[in-house]
Amino acid sequence: MARHPDSELVPYLRGELSPAERERVARHLEECPDCKQDTEVLRELLDNNVARAIGEAPAVNWARYRAELREKLDRRRVRVVWWRRPMPLALSASLAGVLLLVAVWGTHQVSKNGELIGPDEVVMGQELGLLQDLRTVERLDLLEDLEVLRNLDGLATEQQG
Amino acid sequence: MEPADEALCERVARRDEEAFNLLVSRYQERAYRLAWSILRNAEDARDVSQEAFIRLYEMAGSFRGRSKFSTWFYRILVNLCLDHKRKHKWWQLWVRDDDDDRSETILDRQPAPVSDPVDKLSREETLKALGSAVDRLAPRQRAAVLLRVQEDMATYEIARVLKCSEATVRVHLHRALATLKKTVEKR
Repeated sequence: MARHPDSELVPYLRGELSPAERERVARHLEECPDCKQDTEVLRELLDNNVARAIGEAPAVNWARYRAELREKLDRRRVRVVWWRRPMPLALSASLAGVLLLVAVWGTHQVSKNGELIGPDEVVMGQELGLLQDLRTVERLDLLEDLEVLRNLDGLATEQQG
Repeated sequence: MEPADEALCERVARRDEEAFNLLVSRYQERAYRLAWSILRNAEDARDVSQEAFIRLYEMAGSFRGRSKFSTWFYRILVNLCLDHKRKHKWWQLWVRDDDDDRSETILDRQPAPVSDPVDKLSREETLKALGSAVDRLAPRQRAAVLLRVQEDMATYEIARVLKCSEATVRVHLHRALATLKKTVEKR
């Protein structure tokens, strides 16, 4: 079977084909059920004035349309290209390097103090409020050793009496 | 002799501005009309069809010439329209009153010179109903109908534009037709 005359079906139905072309399409339709079905659908669409019902698009000023398009295209090109230029790229790389240096240096400084507090201690401290008084608590242990704590109650009773 | 679309597209891939301008001039009206037929809003149709030309400029290098240039370009355009419609579906429910083109009735767009006033009224009412029915078709069905009726595209070309099989295109057309027929028969 010859190639399907898909693009000729609408002109065929509109009577826009030459007699020879029309004859060829008609012969094909007799042999090809797919094209015949398509033609029936198309005939219905055209008979129902679908093209008219769809209507005409509102008028456009084409010079303005092209000017807008040119503007949009230029904007898009600028947007796509700016970060590929050498300057912004070098600048971004330098900035990233500096940030990395600061981060590494900062970590190094903290670890040099030797006063690092473990994360578990921080959590406990937040919960209990004890860490800020850690040194006092340590000294209380010392006082207990010297039996000062044990005598504190007695001292308080004496003061009241 | 005018250069073929495909040759122009190759030149656009090499960033030939003149070739791009020539393609825009050739396709601007068809692109805008098709976008408007799917979106039914002049501003959106202008924006989306312009976006299709920008994509054409950016993607010209990916056109391999396996299909006609028009099929490839319509594919970009119709996909943009369908995406736009999908993204703005919820929004349109809120701003339907602001839709500039919907305020214009099908009668305003279609002055039909018919002698008998009764016959004229009936025909215009049918046309109006048909226009609304086309508006209500599923986007892919509508696109299939428009590509067929307005752009005279072949089934295999519509299938490439809509990224589906020819059988699916036939189904879209049949369903669209069934819906439209029902609308006409009701009157």
